Amino acid sequence: MSFFGFDTTLPRDRDRGPEATRGFFENPDPFAQVAQATALEDDDAIDFEDTYDGLGDQLDDDQDEFNDDTFGGGPNIKPVGKDFDFFGRTAQVADAIGEEQVRYSLQHPQAAREPLQPNVQTPAQPATISTAATSKRTGYEKYEDPGYIPDLQAKSSVWGISQKKPTEPAASRKMMSLEEVEAQMRQHGQSAPNVPAQRLPQPLADPSYPIHPQHLPTLPDGFPPIPPEFLQAQLENGALPPQMPPPPPGVPELYGGPGQLPPGVPLHHLQNANFPPQNMPPTGSRHVGPQPAQRQQQVPPPATRGAQSGMPVITTPQQLMHLTEEQRNAYLIEDAKRAKRNHKIFLLSRGNGLMTPQDKNFITRIQLQQLVAAAGNVADSDPEAVLAEDFYYQVYSQIRGAPRQHPHQPLGHFAQTYLLQTGNRLGGHGSRRAFHSADNHMQRMQQQVQRAVEAAKAKPKNKQLIIEGSLGKISFSNAKAPKPMLNIKRPDSADGAKPKKLQSDLSLSDRKSILTNLESVYNALMSMEDMERTMPPPPEEGDAEAIQEHMEWRQKVHSLNQQLWRALKVMEPIVPSSTTPHPFIALLSYPKGKKAIPRIFRHIDQEQRVTILTMIVVHLDSLDVVRLAQPVPGEAQPSLAVREAIDLFSLAIMPSLLGYVNEAPFNIIIGLLGLVIAQTHVQTVARTKVGLGILTMLLSRAEIVKEAGQASERDWQQWVEKFNVLFDTLEPALNDIFPGSINSGDDMYVWQFLAAVGIGASPEQQQRLVIAVKDRVMETVTYSKTLPADMASQRLGNVNLFMRAIGLDVELLG
Amino acid sequence: MLFFSFFKTLTNQTVTIELKNDIRIRGILKSVDQYLNIKLDDVEVLDLDKYPHLSSVKNMFIRGSVVRYVMLPRSEVDVGLLEDATRREAANQAGKAR
Repeated sequence: MSFFGFDTTLPRDRDRGPEATRGFFENPDPFAQVAQATALEDDDAIDFEDTYDGLGDQLDDDQDEFNDDTFGGGPNIKPVGKDFDFFGRTAQVADAIGEEQVRYSLQHPQAAREPLQPNVQTPAQPATISTAATSKRTGYEKYEDPGYIPDLQAKSSVWGISQKKPTEPAASRKMMSLEEVEAQMRQHGQSAPNVPAQRLPQPLADPSYPIHPQHLPTLPDGFPPIPPEFLQAQLENGALPPQMPPPPPGVPELYGGPGQLPPGVPLHHLQNANFPPQNMPPTGSRHVGPQPAQRQQQVPPPATRGAQSGMPVITTPQQLMHLTEEQRNAYLIEDAKRAKRNHKIFLLSRGNGLMTPQDKNFITRIQLQQLVAAAGNVADSDPEAVLAEDFYYQVYSQIRGAPRQHPHQPLGHFAQTYLLQTGNRLGGHGSRRAFHSADNHMQRMQQQVQRAVEAAKAKPKNKQLIIEGSLGKISFSNAKAPKPMLNIKRPDSADGAKPKKLQSDLSLSDRKSILTNLESVYNALMSMEDMERTMPPPPEEGDAEAIQEHMEWRQKVHSLNQQLWRALKVMEPIVPSSTTPHPFIALLSYPKGKKAIPRIFRHIDQEQRVTILTMIVVHLDSLDVVRLAQPVPGEAQPSLAVREAIDLFSLAIMPSLLGYVNEAPFNIIIGLLGLVIAQTHVQTVARTKVGLGILTMLLSRAEIVKEAGQASERDWQQWVEKFNVLFDTLEPALNDIFPGSINSGDDMYVWQFLAAVGIGASPEQQQRLVIAVKDRVMETVTYSKTLPADMASQRLGNVNLFMRAIGLDVELLG
Repeated sequence: MLFFSFFKTLTNQTVTIELKNDIRIRGILKSVDQYLNIKLDDVEVLDLDKYPHLSSVKNMFIRGSVVRYVMLPRSEVDVGLLEDATRREAANQAGKAR
């Protein structure tokens, strides 16, 4: 029982029988009531007639003619589809209009500057205007086609205007004067019934009628429409001159202001200027849908409209009518061409307008900022830093010819050129306004770049920032030094353990320590090369500071030289007959060790060079290129790796040694030859290319010294002594010094050696020499006869090296 | 920066890039950035019958993180210089770590 005596049982609790046992949380059946009502109270069922309010009957069905035009329906119109690209279509038209406008203003600066002239001066000469129309573009060409429905511009002002729609027909209906009614009835006879506002044909049909309320100047988009009643009232009061209703305050003076208009000009000329195509048919048959078309024409964005209204008015219908058939055809063809071109532009400009110039500038600014931030550290540092960061590229470009023209161009210049380019690009439209804005953007970008550079300079050196009171840290990263994802800390113990291990390593010739030595050699080399680059200019007399600087530099170079020298391990004591090779020789057994020699020779003095040469000569038969160069029995030549090593040695080390030997004093040559004889197995050494090469080097140098007469008698005696020992040692093995069989190719170095021996030999020795190698000479001569001419002459030339040295010639053997 | 520096010298050379999904692409290296993203031109996909969808691709941008190997033209690599550059890089890193 409720307090007020209502029945408080809920509907679901009422008289349900077994169904009433539904659980509390179960959803109530939404149709239960309906079912109940229909089942139990059949008489009270809701009748459609009772509930229908009859509003549908009040609908005015004969007002539906323009629904299709308004809403885009109708039988002739293709279905738009669900994926209609509103923005794209809009942008296309906007672009096309903009382009037409720019083109026009470029072609007719005059017309653009004096917008009103043609309009005002030639209302009575439609023919001239229309010829102008054929030659000039207005941007309105496409409206020539009466069936053309321009693409809608997505402007918010559209909504402002659409409010006008319902008011106008109603207003005009209310306000119609007798003449209007008559005109409308005439119209009715010719065209579709019930055209609401017959305003367009009227001025043409009845020019004596001074003004029609609807002929008031078009208001700009979004401006609330002036109620016709208001204007009518003003007209009746005589407050406004009929021809010249002043634009309401705030309306831009589209037509150059009322003052410029001669009072006699009928207003509809102006209007026609703005609504050319659809207004044209004076009879109603063609203008089935004036209203939507006009709406759309009013829509073009304010910026473009200013320019368009300035163009000479062309395409009024009358003008077209006045043309001769020929002219009209020409005009239409022209128009078709334009349409085609516009279509092409549309197709090409699919992506146009996706970004506004502002968007593009924004992106450009971001990119520039990135650019500056990325290289920010490099920009304000010296080329040293660039070289450190980008060593391979920089040096490679210098060596092989730079793919880029100015790799060292400072970024400031780069950014500046870039900015200038941007400015030109934007300003190139020729429109003053665009130029201004581009200018502005350029300035802003420049400022931005400056700020970015300053920020990069001011950036704290440490890699992270801990703001007080915050829990996290902020790490700085840029493109050059990305934020490290992993931060692995090497345990401190590892750092300490390493050197200890190195020190405990007594053997200096195991692979690891050799390679470590080699790396330290290279490090020293690179720092020496760096020093070379930073050499201060030679100091002038009396410039104490420069002298001081130079001294310091020399000192540094000297200490680096010592570092390099230590790393080379040349001065390690020579352990005779030890199984492990000397550390320096071990160094040379690696390709990169061999490659280092030419670089080392540039940075060491003569004494160090002779030391290195001596080391090599002393260890000649333990050099890998000598030791391993003996071909395994059964093999014609040593393995590929060894051959490569030999080639590398010949290419990298021999020239350096030769370069030194060619300037070496004679006594050193004598000493070196003595070392070869005393310390090495001469016969073994002589069987290898490198060994023979070194011997040749020494012998030919001695010969040159002798020729030049620089050798003292005592030195020469010494030399001959050594030479005789060498000759005696070598003589029995002379046949073995040739590589492999006769057809195995390169034996030039052997002939060179023999030539060097032959020159220095006594006549008796020469005879012995000839006897020793006679067989080989004959073989080669015979063999060369079977070879192609060029190869044969090469082989014979090699032999001749030797033959000429002892005063003979292969020709004699003929 | 060593790899960036290195790959920069290979621009306009033909390289073969193997991606982590086994696709191998040969093309002219147009550019590379500090993330080792790669732009390729005149692209040719090896094993094209396995990847027919790539048959009409003429140029591409490859995100650096999906590259497994880049096969280089040997003659365009200056090994000695590269060794030195590596040493320098190592020295730089060591300097930074301290």
